[in-house]
Amino acid sequence: MSAANSVVITEQSGLGLAAVMSRKGVRPAAIGAALGLAPSEGPGRVGDARLALIGTGPGTWLALTEAPDPDWSLQLAHKLTGLASVSDQSGGYMVFRIGGNGARALLQHGAFIDFHPDVFRQGSAATTVIAHIGVILWQRDDTPTFDVATFRSYAHSFRRWVETTAAAL
Amino acid sequence: MRISCPYCGDRDAHEFVHRGDAAPRRPTSDDGFYDYVYLRDNIAGPMREHWYHAQGCRNWIVVARDTRNHQMSGAVLAREASR
Repeated sequence: MSAANSVVITEQSGLGLAAVMSRKGVRPAAIGAALGLAPSEGPGRVGDARLALIGTGPGTWLALTEAPDPDWSLQLAHKLTGLASVSDQSGGYMVFRIGGNGARALLQHGAFIDFHPDVFRQGSAATTVIAHIGVILWQRDDTPTFDVATFRSYAHSFRRWVETTAAAL
Repeated sequence: MRISCPYCGDRDAHEFVHRGDAAPRRPTSDDGFYDYVYLRDNIAGPMREHWYHAQGCRNWIVVARDTRNHQMSGAVLAREASR
């Protein structure tokens, strides 16, 4: 790997993660009104470090906070009473932050989606597979920096894919 | 083969599970249930099929596809197609 296409990967720890699934007939705007943000109706990330919603399907989101209270998911479920089901996924997923100017090329080696900056940019998200491992990924900024959430039991395998693929960049 | 998921956009076919003809409708009585469960036309040409986006948004979609050349002419969420 040369300096021109370096990849920096860090495991994010202490995140709060939860799956949010809206009830039948509840519009995304109603979810947004309850949480104080306007969630994406497509695959996209909206929010900040306090609370972000990443679109994973019609009426479903992965909610993420970088500073969770111990009862964070319960607080979220309380705010969404009658609107959506909330299930804590903090232990279920591992989130990797992948940055550096080789990050885009790295992910392009793994996922069969278009990462060109014209179509995949800050705020874009996708639920797909990398090396047969299910991932939810989104672009944080235009550096570019990407976050990739994968099932925790696959984290070691995913990291191994990153390391072997990055070495070939 | 690429399939255009209404939510996720263009995706490789390996992310999907193929179920087949979307035309059969669940009968309201036992009459016709065997046909509904087991009988499928083997169409050469344009047809509407159920696909499940297992490795993406985890939704059933209805795809209009020409089985002779794999040309896709549209896809909608199955829950919307059934309305």
